[in-house]
Amino acid sequence: MTAILPASTSTSDARRRSVRRTRPRSWALVLVYGFLTVVTLLSLLPAAWVMLSSFKTGPQVYSGKGFFPSPPTFQGYIDAFTEIHLHTYVLNTLLYAGGGTIGAVTVAFLAAYPLARYAFLGRNFLVAMFALALAIPLVGLATPVFFVVRELGMFDSRIGLVIFYSALELPFSFIVMRSFLLSLPPEVEEAALIDGAGYFTTLRRIILPLSRPAIATVCVVAFVKIWNEFFFANLLTVTQSNHNVQLALSGFKSQFGYNVTGAMAGATVIMLVPIALFLLLQRQVIAGLTAGAVK
Amino acid sequence: MRTTHQVRPPAPKPTAGPRIPAGMHGHVALSMLPALALFAVFFLVPLVVLAVTAFSRWGAGDFTFTGLDNYRQLFSDPVFWKAAGNTLFYCVASMVIQVPLGVAVGMTLAMKVPGWKLFRTIIFIPFVISGAAYALVFSMFYNPSYGLLNNLLAPVTGGQHDWLFNSGTARWAVAGTFVFIIGFVVVVVMAEVASIPTELLEAAEADGASLMQRQLFIVLPLLRNIIGTVILVRLLVDIGMFDLVYILTSGGPNDATTTLALYAYRAYVHGQWGYANAVGSVILILGATLIVTVRRVFRIGERAL
Repeated sequence: MTAILPASTSTSDARRRSVRRTRPRSWALVLVYGFLTVVTLLSLLPAAWVMLSSFKTGPQVYSGKGFFPSPPTFQGYIDAFTEIHLHTYVLNTLLYAGGGTIGAVTVAFLAAYPLARYAFLGRNFLVAMFALALAIPLVGLATPVFFVVRELGMFDSRIGLVIFYSALELPFSFIVMRSFLLSLPPEVEEAALIDGAGYFTTLRRIILPLSRPAIATVCVVAFVKIWNEFFFANLLTVTQSNHNVQLALSGFKSQFGYNVTGAMAGATVIMLVPIALFLLLQRQVIAGLTAGAVK
Repeated sequence: MRTTHQVRPPAPKPTAGPRIPAGMHGHVALSMLPALALFAVFFLVPLVVLAVTAFSRWGAGDFTFTGLDNYRQLFSDPVFWKAAGNTLFYCVASMVIQVPLGVAVGMTLAMKVPGWKLFRTIIFIPFVISGAAYALVFSMFYNPSYGLLNNLLAPVTGGQHDWLFNSGTARWAVAGTFVFIIGFVVVVVMAEVASIPTELLEAAEADGASLMQRQLFIVLPLLRNIIGTVILVRLLVDIGMFDLVYILTSGGPNDATTTLALYAYRAYVHGQWGYANAVGSVILILGATLIVTVRRVFRIGERAL
Protein backbone atom coordinates (compact mmCIF):
# COMPACT_ATOMS: atom_id res chain seq x y z
CA MET A 1 0.00 0.00 0.00
CA THR A 2 2.63 2.44 1.03
CA ALA A 3 4.53 1.69 -2.13
CA ILE A 4 1.54 2.38 -4.31
CA LEU A 5 0.44 5.54 -2.61
CA PRO A 6 3.22 7.89 -3.73
CA ALA A 7 3.00 6.51 -7.23
CA SER A 8 -0.72 7.09 -7.46
CA THR A 9 -0.46 10.63 -6.16
CA SER A 10 2.24 11.43 -8.63
CA THR A 11 0.16 10.17 -11.56
CA SER A 12 -2.87 12.09 -10.37
CA ASP A 13 -0.64 15.14 -10.03
CA ALA A 14 0.55 14.64 -13.55
CA ARG A 15 -2.97 14.15 -14.72
CA ARG A 16 -4.16 17.28 -12.99
CA ARG A 17 -1.33 19.22 -14.53
CA SER A 18 -2.16 17.97 -17.99
CA VAL A 19 -5.82 18.66 -17.41
CA ARG A 20 -5.16 22.19 -16.27
CA ARG A 21 -3.59 22.83 -19.62
CA THR A 22 -6.91 23.49 -21.33
CA ARG A 23 -5.13 26.21 -23.21
CA PRO A 24 -4.12 25.49 -26.78
CA ARG A 25 -0.66 24.37 -27.89
CA SER A 26 1.77 26.83 -29.38
CA TRP A 27 0.82 26.42 -33.04
CA ALA A 28 -2.82 26.71 -32.08
CA LEU A 29 -1.98 29.80 -30.03
CA VAL A 30 -0.73 31.49 -33.17
CA LEU A 31 -4.06 30.76 -34.85
CA VAL A 32 -6.01 31.93 -31.82
CA TYR A 33 -4.14 35.21 -31.56
CA GLY A 34 -4.28 35.73 -35.30
CA PHE A 35 -8.05 35.27 -35.31
CA LEU A 36 -8.59 37.49 -32.27
CA THR A 37 -6.36 40.21 -33.68
CA VAL A 38 -8.23 40.31 -36.98
CA VAL A 39 -11.63 40.48 -35.26
CA THR A 40 -10.43 43.10 -32.79
CA LEU A 41 -8.94 45.31 -35.48
CA LEU A 42 -12.12 44.97 -37.48
CA SER A 43 -14.23 46.01 -34.49
CA LEU A 44 -12.01 48.98 -33.89
CA LEU A 45 -11.48 50.12 -37.44
CA PRO A 46 -14.52 52.22 -38.49
CA ALA A 47 -14.95 54.13 -35.23
CA ALA A 48 -11.21 54.58 -34.72
CA TRP A 49 -10.85 55.91 -38.25
CA VAL A 50 -13.58 58.51 -37.63
CA MET A 51 -12.06 59.47 -34.27
CA LEU A 52 -8.62 59.93 -35.79
CA SER A 53 -10.04 61.74 -38.80
CA SER A 54 -11.82 64.21 -36.51
CA PHE A 55 -8.38 65.73 -35.91
CA LYS A 56 -7.68 66.09 -39.61
CA THR A 57 -8.26 69.15 -41.73
CA GLY A 58 -11.14 69.06 -44.21
CA PRO A 59 -8.83 68.83 -47.23
CA GLN A 60 -6.90 65.95 -45.68
CA VAL A 61 -10.14 64.01 -45.10
CA TYR A 62 -11.35 64.62 -48.63
CA SER A 63 -8.00 63.61 -50.10
CA GLY A 64 -8.57 60.20 -48.52
CA LYS A 65 -4.85 59.93 -47.87
CA GLY A 66 -3.23 58.93 -44.60
CA PHE A 67 -4.78 57.16 -41.64
CA PHE A 68 -3.31 59.57 -39.10
CA PRO A 69 -3.94 63.32 -38.98
CA SER A 70 -1.01 65.41 -40.12
CA PRO A 71 -0.90 68.01 -38.80
CA PRO A 72 -3.57 67.43 -36.12
CA THR A 73 -6.13 70.21 -35.72
CA PHE A 74 -8.99 70.91 -33.31
CA GLN A 75 -10.96 72.86 -35.89
CA GLY A 76 -13.59 70.13 -36.15
CA TYR A 77 -14.24 70.31 -32.40
CA ILE A 78 -14.37 74.11 -32.44
CA ASP A 79 -16.91 73.92 -35.28
CA ALA A 80 -19.01 71.29 -33.53
CA PHE A 81 -19.41 73.48 -30.46
CA THR A 82 -19.64 76.92 -32.10
CA GLU A 83 -21.63 76.15 -35.25
CA ILE A 84 -23.95 73.42 -34.08
CA HIS A 85 -23.88 74.14 -30.32
CA LEU A 86 -23.16 70.57 -29.39
CA HIS A 87 -23.14 71.46 -25.69
CA THR A 88 -26.89 72.24 -25.74
CA TYR A 89 -27.60 68.74 -26.94
CA VAL A 90 -25.14 67.23 -24.50
CA LEU A 91 -26.89 69.01 -21.61
CA ASN A 92 -30.33 67.91 -22.87
CA THR A 93 -29.18 64.33 -23.15
CA LEU A 94 -27.63 64.40 -19.68
CA LEU A 95 -31.04 65.51 -18.40
CA TYR A 96 -32.90 62.81 -20.33
CA ALA A 97 -30.48 60.03 -19.45
CA GLY A 98 -30.00 61.14 -15.84
CA GLY A 99 -33.68 61.86 -15.15
CA GLY A 100 -34.93 58.84 -17.07
CA THR A 101 -32.52 56.54 -15.27
CA ILE A 102 -33.43 57.82 -11.81
CA GLY A 103 -37.12 57.60 -12.65
CA ALA A 104 -36.93 54.10 -14.10
CA VAL A 105 -34.74 52.68 -11.34
CA THR A 106 -36.78 54.20 -8.49
CA VAL A 107 -40.09 53.04 -9.88
CA ALA A 108 -38.68 49.62 -10.78
CA PHE A 109 -37.17 49.14 -7.32
CA LEU A 110 -40.43 50.02 -5.56
CA ALA A 111 -42.38 47.54 -7.69
CA ALA A 112 -39.73 44.82 -7.81
CA TYR A 113 -39.55 44.40 -4.04
CA PRO A 114 -43.13 43.28 -3.33
CA LEU A 115 -43.26 41.33 -6.61
CA ALA A 116 -40.12 39.45 -5.59
CA ARG A 117 -40.99 38.96 -1.95
CA TYR A 118 -44.67 38.25 -1.51
CA ALA A 119 -46.99 35.71 -3.03
CA PHE A 120 -50.34 37.18 -3.99
CA LEU A 121 -52.99 36.83 -6.61
CA GLY A 122 -51.88 38.19 -9.98
CA ARG A 123 -48.21 38.40 -9.11
CA ASN A 124 -47.03 36.09 -11.85
CA PHE A 125 -49.25 37.87 -14.33
CA LEU A 126 -47.69 41.25 -13.48
CA VAL A 127 -44.16 39.87 -13.70
CA ALA A 128 -44.91 38.24 -17.05
CA MET A 129 -46.36 41.52 -18.29
CA PHE A 130 -43.10 43.37 -17.67
CA ALA A 131 -41.07 40.53 -19.16
CA LEU A 132 -43.26 40.55 -22.25
CA ALA A 133 -42.76 44.28 -22.70
CA LEU A 134 -39.05 43.55 -23.13
CA ALA A 135 -39.87 41.28 -26.05
CA ILE A 136 -41.88 43.81 -28.08
CA PRO A 137 -40.33 45.65 -31.03
CA LEU A 138 -41.44 49.03 -29.71
CA VAL A 139 -41.08 50.85 -33.03
CA GLY A 140 -44.33 49.11 -33.96
CA LEU A 141 -46.05 51.25 -31.32
CA ALA A 142 -44.61 54.54 -32.61
CA THR A 143 -47.80 56.32 -33.63
CA PRO A 144 -49.87 55.33 -30.57
CA VAL A 145 -47.00 56.38 -28.30
CA PHE A 146 -46.84 59.73 -30.06
CA PHE A 147 -50.61 60.08 -29.68
CA VAL A 148 -50.61 59.25 -25.95
CA VAL A 149 -47.68 61.55 -25.27
CA ARG A 150 -49.34 64.40 -27.16
CA GLU A 151 -52.69 63.89 -25.41
CA LEU A 152 -50.88 64.14 -22.08
CA GLY A 153 -49.36 67.45 -23.15
CA MET A 154 -45.89 65.94 -23.02
CA PHE A 155 -45.04 66.25 -26.70
CA ASP A 156 -41.86 68.20 -27.45
CA SER A 157 -41.26 68.80 -23.75
CA ARG A 158 -38.10 68.02 -21.82
CA ILE A 159 -39.95 66.83 -18.73
CA GLY A 160 -42.23 64.78 -20.95
CA LEU A 161 -39.26 63.01 -22.46
CA VAL A 162 -37.77 62.31 -19.01
CA ILE A 163 -41.06 60.68 -17.96
CA PHE A 164 -41.26 58.75 -21.22
CA TYR A 165 -37.72 57.43 -20.85
CA SER A 166 -38.49 56.38 -17.27
CA ALA A 167 -41.29 54.25 -18.71
CA LEU A 168 -39.16 52.99 -21.61
CA GLU A 169 -36.42 51.66 -19.31
CA LEU A 170 -38.87 50.41 -16.67
CA PRO A 171 -39.35 46.81 -17.90
CA PHE A 172 -35.61 46.18 -18.17
CA SER A 173 -34.87 47.77 -14.79
CA PHE A 174 -37.72 45.89 -13.17
CA ILE A 175 -36.69 42.46 -14.46
CA VAL A 176 -33.04 42.86 -13.42
CA MET A 177 -33.93 44.35 -10.01
CA ARG A 178 -36.46 41.62 -9.27
CA SER A 179 -34.03 38.83 -10.18
CA PHE A 180 -31.56 40.34 -7.77
CA LEU A 181 -34.09 40.77 -4.95
CA LEU A 182 -35.16 37.14 -5.35
CA SER A 183 -31.62 36.16 -4.43
CA LEU A 184 -31.76 38.04 -1.10
CA PRO A 185 -32.84 35.72 1.74
CA PRO A 186 -36.12 36.92 3.34
CA GLU A 187 -34.56 36.71 6.82
CA VAL A 188 -32.77 39.91 5.93
CA GLU A 189 -35.76 42.12 6.61
CA GLU A 190 -37.88 39.86 8.81
CA ALA A 191 -36.10 41.07 11.93
CA ALA A 192 -36.70 44.66 11.00
CA LEU A 193 -40.37 44.03 10.36
CA ILE A 194 -40.72 42.22 13.68
CA ASP A 195 -39.04 45.17 15.38
CA GLY A 196 -41.95 47.22 14.14
CA ALA A 197 -40.26 49.09 11.29
CA GLY A 198 -42.78 50.02 8.60
CA TYR A 199 -42.77 48.80 5.03
CA PHE A 200 -41.10 51.80 3.46
CA THR A 201 -38.62 52.17 6.32
CA THR A 202 -37.53 48.56 5.83
CA LEU A 203 -37.30 49.12 2.13
CA ARG A 204 -35.11 52.19 2.55
CA ARG A 205 -32.95 51.11 5.49
CA ILE A 206 -32.45 47.41 4.78
CA ILE A 207 -33.23 46.48 1.19
CA LEU A 208 -31.93 49.57 -0.57
CA PRO A 209 -28.36 49.35 0.78
CA LEU A 210 -28.21 45.64 0.01
CA SER A 211 -29.39 46.24 -3.55
CA ARG A 212 -26.54 48.56 -4.42
CA PRO A 213 -24.82 46.21 -6.91
CA ALA A 214 -28.01 45.65 -8.88
CA ILE A 215 -28.91 49.33 -8.77
CA ALA A 216 -25.47 50.29 -10.06
CA THR A 217 -25.77 47.79 -12.90
CA VAL A 218 -29.23 48.96 -13.92
CA CYS A 219 -28.25 52.63 -13.67
CA VAL A 220 -25.25 52.34 -15.97
CA VAL A 221 -27.10 50.35 -18.59
CA ALA A 222 -30.23 52.52 -18.53
CA PHE A 223 -28.11 55.66 -18.78
CA VAL A 224 -26.20 54.38 -21.79
CA LYS A 225 -29.39 53.17 -23.48
CA ILE A 226 -31.13 56.53 -23.07
CA TRP A 227 -28.00 58.42 -24.11
CA ASN A 228 -27.98 56.33 -27.31
CA GLU A 229 -31.72 56.52 -27.96
CA PHE A 230 -32.69 57.92 -31.34
CA PHE A 231 -36.09 56.68 -32.47
CA PHE A 232 -38.35 58.12 -29.77
CA ALA A 233 -36.30 61.31 -29.40
CA ASN A 234 -36.93 61.83 -33.10
CA LEU A 235 -40.62 60.99 -32.71
CA LEU A 236 -41.35 63.04 -29.60
CA THR A 237 -39.38 66.26 -30.07
CA VAL A 238 -39.50 68.84 -32.86
CA THR A 239 -37.87 71.96 -31.43
CA GLN A 240 -34.14 71.85 -31.96
CA SER A 241 -33.45 73.08 -28.44
CA ASN A 242 -35.14 69.90 -27.13
CA HIS A 243 -33.18 67.50 -29.32
CA ASN A 244 -30.79 64.96 -27.86
CA VAL A 245 -27.26 64.29 -29.10
CA GLN A 246 -28.26 61.46 -31.41
CA LEU A 247 -30.63 63.78 -33.28
CA ALA A 248 -27.95 66.44 -33.40
CA LEU A 249 -25.80 63.82 -35.12
CA SER A 250 -28.25 63.27 -37.94
CA GLY A 251 -28.42 67.06 -38.25
CA PHE A 252 -24.70 67.11 -38.98
CA LYS A 253 -25.25 65.29 -42.21
CA SER A 254 -27.21 68.08 -43.83
CA GLN A 255 -25.85 71.04 -41.94
CA PHE A 256 -22.28 69.89 -42.18
CA GLY A 257 -22.57 68.73 -45.75
CA TYR A 258 -19.48 70.81 -46.30
CA ASN A 259 -17.90 70.33 -42.86
CA VAL A 260 -17.06 66.68 -42.53
CA THR A 261 -14.55 67.16 -39.72
CA GLY A 262 -17.19 68.95 -37.62
CA ALA A 263 -19.45 65.92 -37.99
CA MET A 264 -16.59 63.57 -37.15
CA ALA A 265 -15.70 65.59 -34.06
CA GLY A 266 -19.33 65.62 -32.95
CA ALA A 267 -19.65 61.89 -33.50
CA THR A 268 -16.46 61.33 -31.49
CA VAL A 269 -17.76 63.31 -28.50
CA ILE A 270 -21.07 61.47 -28.60
CA MET A 271 -19.46 58.04 -28.89
CA LEU A 272 -16.93 58.71 -26.16
CA VAL A 273 -19.51 59.09 -23.38
CA PRO A 274 -20.83 55.51 -23.47
CA ILE A 275 -17.36 54.18 -24.29
CA ALA A 276 -15.89 55.94 -21.23
CA LEU A 277 -18.71 54.66 -19.01
CA PHE A 278 -18.17 51.18 -20.35
CA LEU A 279 -14.42 51.26 -19.76
CA LEU A 280 -14.87 52.58 -16.21
CA LEU A 281 -17.73 50.27 -15.24
CA GLN A 282 -17.09 47.32 -17.51
CA ARG A 283 -18.37 44.70 -15.10
CA GLN A 284 -21.67 46.47 -14.52
CA VAL A 285 -22.28 47.16 -18.20
CA ILE A 286 -21.60 43.59 -19.27
CA ALA A 287 -23.56 42.11 -16.37
CA GLY A 288 -26.51 44.39 -16.98
CA LEU A 289 -26.69 44.01 -20.72
CA THR A 290 -26.34 40.26 -20.63
CA ALA A 291 -28.72 39.80 -17.70
CA GLY A 292 -31.33 42.10 -19.18
CA ALA A 293 -31.16 40.42 -22.53
CA VAL A 294 -31.14 36.84 -21.32
CA LYS A 295 -34.42 37.31 -19.45
CA MET B 1 -18.44 37.48 -15.00
CA ARG B 2 -19.58 36.65 -11.50
CA THR B 3 -22.01 39.58 -11.50
CA THR B 4 -23.84 38.05 -14.44
CA HIS B 5 -24.84 35.22 -12.21
CA GLN B 6 -25.48 37.46 -9.28
CA VAL B 7 -28.30 39.15 -11.18
CA ARG B 8 -29.39 35.82 -12.63
CA PRO B 9 -30.15 33.62 -9.64
CA PRO B 10 -31.79 30.21 -9.88
CA ALA B 11 -35.42 30.52 -10.85
CA PRO B 12 -37.80 30.44 -7.87
CA LYS B 13 -40.92 28.34 -7.67
CA PRO B 14 -43.75 30.42 -9.07
CA THR B 15 -45.76 30.32 -5.87
CA ALA B 16 -42.79 30.79 -3.53
CA GLY B 17 -42.78 33.47 -0.90
CA PRO B 18 -44.80 34.44 2.12
CA ARG B 19 -48.14 36.19 1.99
CA ILE B 20 -48.27 39.92 2.46
CA PRO B 21 -48.23 40.59 6.24
CA ALA B 22 -51.47 41.87 7.72
CA GLY B 23 -51.89 45.62 7.45
CA MET B 24 -49.34 45.97 4.67
CA HIS B 25 -51.57 45.54 1.66
CA GLY B 26 -51.90 49.27 1.25
CA HIS B 27 -48.15 49.77 1.34
CA VAL B 28 -47.55 47.06 -1.21
CA ALA B 29 -50.17 48.52 -3.54
CA LEU B 30 -48.73 52.01 -3.13
CA SER B 31 -45.27 50.65 -3.83
CA MET B 32 -46.34 49.09 -7.13
CA LEU B 33 -48.57 51.96 -8.20
CA PRO B 34 -46.02 54.15 -10.03
CA ALA B 35 -44.70 51.23 -12.07
CA LEU B 36 -48.19 50.03 -12.98
CA ALA B 37 -49.26 53.57 -13.92
CA LEU B 38 -46.23 54.16 -16.16
CA PHE B 39 -46.65 50.75 -17.71
CA ALA B 40 -50.36 51.22 -18.38
CA VAL B 41 -49.93 54.67 -19.92
CA PHE B 42 -46.93 53.98 -22.13
CA PHE B 43 -47.32 50.30 -23.03
CA LEU B 44 -50.89 49.11 -22.55
CA VAL B 45 -52.77 52.18 -23.79
CA PRO B 46 -50.66 52.42 -26.98
CA LEU B 47 -51.22 48.73 -27.58
CA VAL B 48 -54.99 49.21 -27.35
CA VAL B 49 -54.84 52.33 -29.52
CA LEU B 50 -52.88 50.35 -32.10
CA ALA B 51 -55.30 47.45 -32.10
CA VAL B 52 -58.29 49.75 -32.62
CA THR B 53 -56.90 52.28 -35.09
CA ALA B 54 -55.20 49.79 -37.38
CA PHE B 55 -58.71 49.24 -38.77
CA SER B 56 -59.44 52.89 -39.37
CA ARG B 57 -58.56 55.92 -41.41
CA TRP B 58 -57.03 58.12 -38.78
CA GLY B 59 -55.06 61.31 -39.07
CA ALA B 60 -55.02 64.79 -37.64
CA GLY B 61 -58.69 65.38 -36.92
CA ASP B 62 -60.63 62.69 -38.72
CA PHE B 63 -61.30 59.14 -37.67
CA THR B 64 -63.41 56.54 -39.52
CA PHE B 65 -63.48 52.82 -39.21
CA THR B 66 -62.61 51.25 -42.53
CA GLY B 67 -62.39 47.60 -41.62
CA LEU B 68 -59.60 45.81 -43.39
CA ASP B 69 -58.94 48.59 -45.92
CA ASN B 70 -55.52 49.42 -44.47
CA TYR B 71 -54.41 45.83 -44.77
CA ARG B 72 -55.76 45.53 -48.30
CA GLN B 73 -53.82 48.64 -49.31
CA LEU B 74 -50.78 47.37 -47.44
CA PHE B 75 -50.65 43.99 -49.09
CA SER B 76 -51.11 45.47 -52.57
CA ASP B 77 -48.30 47.98 -52.16
CA PRO B 78 -45.04 46.70 -53.68
CA VAL B 79 -43.04 49.02 -51.40
CA PHE B 80 -44.49 47.27 -48.35
CA TRP B 81 -43.30 43.92 -49.70
CA LYS B 82 -39.91 45.43 -50.40
CA ALA B 83 -39.75 46.74 -46.84
CA ALA B 84 -40.86 43.39 -45.42
CA GLY B 85 -38.33 41.57 -47.61
CA ASN B 86 -35.54 43.88 -46.53
CA THR B 87 -36.46 43.53 -42.86
CA LEU B 88 -36.24 39.76 -43.16
CA PHE B 89 -33.03 40.12 -45.15
CA TYR B 90 -31.48 42.09 -42.26
CA CYS B 91 -32.77 39.52 -39.76
CA VAL B 92 -31.17 36.68 -41.69
CA ALA B 93 -28.00 38.66 -42.33
CA SER B 94 -27.46 39.44 -38.68
CA MET B 95 -28.06 35.81 -37.77
CA VAL B 96 -25.71 34.53 -40.45
CA ILE B 97 -23.02 37.14 -39.77
CA GLN B 98 -23.13 37.89 -36.07
CA VAL B 99 -24.06 34.60 -34.51
CA PRO B 100 -21.40 32.25 -35.98
CA LEU B 101 -18.68 34.90 -35.77
CA GLY B 102 -19.69 35.93 -32.26
CA VAL B 103 -19.92 32.34 -31.05
CA ALA B 104 -16.51 31.54 -32.54
CA VAL B 105 -14.91 34.58 -30.91
CA GLY B 106 -16.72 33.96 -27.62
CA MET B 107 -15.57 30.32 -27.49
CA THR B 108 -12.03 31.37 -28.37
CA LEU B 109 -11.92 34.07 -25.71
CA ALA B 110 -13.45 31.70 -23.16
CA MET B 111 -10.20 29.71 -23.29
CA LYS B 112 -8.77 32.72 -21.48
CA VAL B 113 -5.52 33.02 -23.36
CA PRO B 114 -3.36 35.79 -21.88
CA GLY B 115 -4.74 39.17 -22.90
CA TRP B 116 -8.31 37.94 -23.32
CA LYS B 117 -9.72 40.82 -21.27
CA LEU B 118 -8.23 43.40 -23.59
CA PHE B 119 -9.65 41.63 -26.65
CA ARG B 120 -13.05 41.37 -25.02
CA THR B 121 -13.07 45.03 -24.07
CA ILE B 122 -12.23 46.24 -27.56
CA ILE B 123 -14.61 43.85 -29.29
CA PHE B 124 -17.44 44.99 -27.01
CA ILE B 125 -16.94 48.71 -27.62
CA PRO B 126 -18.96 48.96 -30.87
CA PHE B 127 -21.94 47.56 -29.00
CA VAL B 128 -22.14 50.54 -26.63
CA ILE B 129 -21.97 53.03 -29.49
CA SER B 130 -25.42 54.23 -30.56
CA GLY B 131 -26.96 53.16 -33.85
CA ALA B 132 -27.12 56.81 -34.88
CA ALA B 133 -23.44 57.47 -34.25
CA TYR B 134 -22.51 54.23 -35.93
CA ALA B 135 -24.62 55.16 -38.92
CA LEU B 136 -22.71 58.42 -39.23
CA VAL B 137 -19.43 56.52 -38.95
CA PHE B 138 -20.49 54.15 -41.71
CA SER B 139 -21.84 56.86 -43.99
CA MET B 140 -18.27 58.17 -43.93
CA PHE B 141 -16.70 54.73 -44.05
CA TYR B 142 -18.63 53.91 -47.25
CA ASN B 143 -18.27 57.38 -48.76
CA PRO B 144 -17.32 57.05 -52.43
CA SER B 145 -14.85 59.93 -52.48
CA TYR B 146 -13.01 59.81 -49.15
CA GLY B 147 -14.36 56.72 -47.34
CA LEU B 148 -11.90 54.32 -45.77
CA LEU B 149 -13.39 51.28 -47.50
CA ASN B 150 -12.74 52.63 -50.98
CA ASN B 151 -9.24 53.67 -50.02
CA LEU B 152 -8.49 50.22 -48.69
CA LEU B 153 -10.06 48.48 -51.65
CA ALA B 154 -8.71 50.81 -54.33
CA PRO B 155 -5.83 48.50 -55.22
CA VAL B 156 -8.29 45.61 -55.68
CA THR B 157 -11.33 47.22 -57.28
CA GLY B 158 -9.30 49.89 -58.99
CA GLY B 159 -11.90 52.57 -58.51
CA GLN B 160 -14.48 54.21 -56.35
CA HIS B 161 -17.78 52.64 -55.62
CA ASP B 162 -20.85 54.21 -54.01
CA TRP B 163 -21.68 51.21 -51.87
CA LEU B 164 -24.71 52.70 -50.13
CA PHE B 165 -26.44 54.36 -53.05
CA ASN B 166 -26.06 51.73 -55.69
CA SER B 167 -29.16 49.55 -55.59
CA GLY B 168 -27.03 46.47 -56.26
CA THR B 169 -24.90 46.84 -53.14
CA ALA B 170 -27.00 49.06 -50.83
CA ARG B 171 -28.65 46.30 -48.80
CA TRP B 172 -25.39 44.42 -48.49
CA ALA B 173 -23.57 47.53 -47.38
CA VAL B 174 -26.11 48.09 -44.61
CA ALA B 175 -25.93 44.44 -43.55
CA GLY B 176 -22.13 44.57 -43.75
CA THR B 177 -22.09 46.87 -40.73
CA PHE B 178 -23.28 43.93 -38.63
CA VAL B 179 -19.83 42.36 -38.84
CA PHE B 180 -18.51 45.05 -36.55
CA ILE B 181 -21.07 44.67 -33.77
CA ILE B 182 -20.53 41.16 -32.41
CA GLY B 183 -19.59 42.19 -28.86
CA PHE B 184 -22.91 41.25 -27.34
CA VAL B 185 -22.88 37.71 -28.72
CA VAL B 186 -19.27 37.29 -27.61
CA VAL B 187 -19.90 38.32 -24.03
CA VAL B 188 -23.05 36.23 -23.59
CA VAL B 189 -21.34 33.16 -25.05
CA MET B 190 -18.33 33.65 -22.78
CA ALA B 191 -20.57 33.77 -19.72
CA GLU B 192 -22.28 30.58 -20.80
CA VAL B 193 -19.02 28.73 -21.46
CA ALA B 194 -17.80 29.78 -18.00
CA SER B 195 -20.83 28.06 -16.48
CA ILE B 196 -19.99 24.69 -18.06
CA PRO B 197 -18.69 22.38 -15.30
CA THR B 198 -14.92 21.93 -15.72
CA GLU B 199 -15.17 18.23 -14.78
CA LEU B 200 -16.92 17.65 -18.08
CA LEU B 201 -14.03 19.06 -20.09
CA GLU B 202 -11.44 17.43 -17.86
CA ALA B 203 -13.06 14.03 -18.32
CA ALA B 204 -13.09 14.51 -22.07
CA GLU B 205 -9.46 15.49 -22.07
CA ALA B 206 -8.54 12.51 -19.95
CA ASP B 207 -10.29 10.38 -22.54
CA GLY B 208 -8.00 11.87 -25.15
CA ALA B 209 -10.29 14.40 -26.82
CA SER B 210 -8.30 17.13 -28.52
CA LEU B 211 -8.95 20.82 -27.89
CA MET B 212 -10.84 21.12 -31.17
CA GLN B 213 -12.94 18.04 -30.39
CA ARG B 214 -13.81 19.36 -26.95
CA GLN B 215 -14.87 22.70 -28.37
CA LEU B 216 -16.97 21.23 -31.16
CA PHE B 217 -18.53 18.24 -29.47
CA ILE B 218 -18.86 19.31 -25.85
CA VAL B 219 -18.88 23.10 -25.58
CA LEU B 220 -20.81 23.96 -28.76
CA PRO B 221 -23.79 21.65 -28.14
CA LEU B 222 -24.09 23.05 -24.61
CA LEU B 223 -24.41 26.51 -26.12
CA ARG B 224 -27.63 25.71 -27.96
CA ASN B 225 -29.83 27.48 -25.47
CA ILE B 226 -27.75 30.64 -25.33
CA ILE B 227 -27.41 30.76 -29.12
CA GLY B 228 -31.19 30.68 -29.33
CA THR B 229 -31.41 33.50 -26.80
CA VAL B 230 -28.90 35.58 -28.70
CA ILE B 231 -30.80 35.05 -31.95
CA LEU B 232 -33.97 36.13 -30.16
CA VAL B 233 -32.41 39.33 -28.89
CA ARG B 234 -30.94 40.13 -32.29
CA LEU B 235 -34.23 39.43 -34.09
CA LEU B 236 -36.07 41.79 -31.78
CA VAL B 237 -33.67 44.56 -32.65
CA ASP B 238 -33.61 43.77 -36.37
CA ILE B 239 -37.37 43.55 -36.82
CA GLY B 240 -37.62 47.13 -35.62
CA MET B 241 -34.53 48.25 -37.49
CA PHE B 242 -34.72 51.99 -38.03
CA ASP B 243 -31.84 54.23 -36.89
CA LEU B 244 -29.13 52.76 -39.07
CA VAL B 245 -31.12 52.73 -42.30
CA TYR B 246 -32.86 56.05 -41.66
CA ILE B 247 -29.55 57.83 -41.21
CA LEU B 248 -27.46 55.88 -43.72
CA THR B 249 -29.80 55.90 -46.70
CA SER B 250 -33.30 57.05 -45.60
CA GLY B 251 -34.42 53.77 -47.16
CA GLY B 252 -33.06 54.58 -50.61
CA PRO B 253 -31.98 54.21 -53.30
CA ASN B 254 -35.43 53.51 -54.69
CA ASP B 255 -36.51 51.78 -51.43
CA ALA B 256 -33.72 49.22 -51.82
CA THR B 257 -32.79 49.42 -48.11
CA THR B 258 -36.08 50.46 -46.52
CA THR B 259 -37.50 48.52 -43.57
CA LEU B 260 -40.97 48.00 -42.09
CA ALA B 261 -40.22 50.47 -39.31
CA LEU B 262 -39.20 53.09 -41.87
CA TYR B 263 -42.28 52.35 -43.98
CA ALA B 264 -44.53 52.82 -40.94
CA TYR B 265 -42.68 55.98 -39.99
CA ARG B 266 -43.27 57.48 -43.45
CA ALA B 267 -46.99 56.80 -43.18
CA TYR B 268 -46.97 58.47 -39.75
CA VAL B 269 -45.13 61.52 -41.11
CA HIS B 270 -47.70 61.84 -43.90
CA GLY B 271 -50.49 61.87 -41.31
CA GLN B 272 -51.79 58.39 -42.22
CA TRP B 273 -51.83 57.22 -38.63
CA GLY B 274 -54.27 54.38 -39.13
CA TYR B 275 -52.17 53.02 -41.97
CA ALA B 276 -48.99 53.44 -39.92
CA ASN B 277 -50.60 51.42 -37.16
CA ALA B 278 -51.58 48.66 -39.54
CA VAL B 279 -47.88 48.43 -40.43
CA GLY B 280 -47.06 48.58 -36.72
CA SER B 281 -49.34 45.63 -36.09
CA VAL B 282 -47.51 43.69 -38.79
CA ILE B 283 -44.20 44.44 -37.04
CA LEU B 284 -45.56 43.25 -33.69
CA ILE B 285 -47.11 40.10 -35.14
CA LEU B 286 -43.97 39.31 -37.10
CA GLY B 287 -41.93 39.80 -33.93
CA ALA B 288 -44.19 37.51 -31.90
CA THR B 289 -44.13 34.84 -34.62
CA LEU B 290 -40.35 34.86 -34.91
CA ILE B 291 -39.95 34.76 -31.14
CA VAL B 292 -42.26 31.81 -30.73
CA THR B 293 -40.51 30.00 -33.58
CA VAL B 294 -37.02 30.57 -32.22
CA ARG B 295 -38.08 29.54 -28.72
CA ARG B 296 -39.51 26.31 -30.13
CA VAL B 297 -36.48 25.54 -32.26
CA PHE B 298 -34.00 26.17 -29.48
CA ARG B 299 -36.30 24.96 -26.69
CA ILE B 300 -35.68 28.09 -24.68
CA GLY B 301 -38.85 27.91 -22.60
CA GLU B 302 -37.46 24.88 -20.83
CA ARG B 303 -35.29 27.10 -18.71
CA ALA B 304 -37.29 29.41 -16.46
CA LEU B 305 -37.46 33.11 -17.27
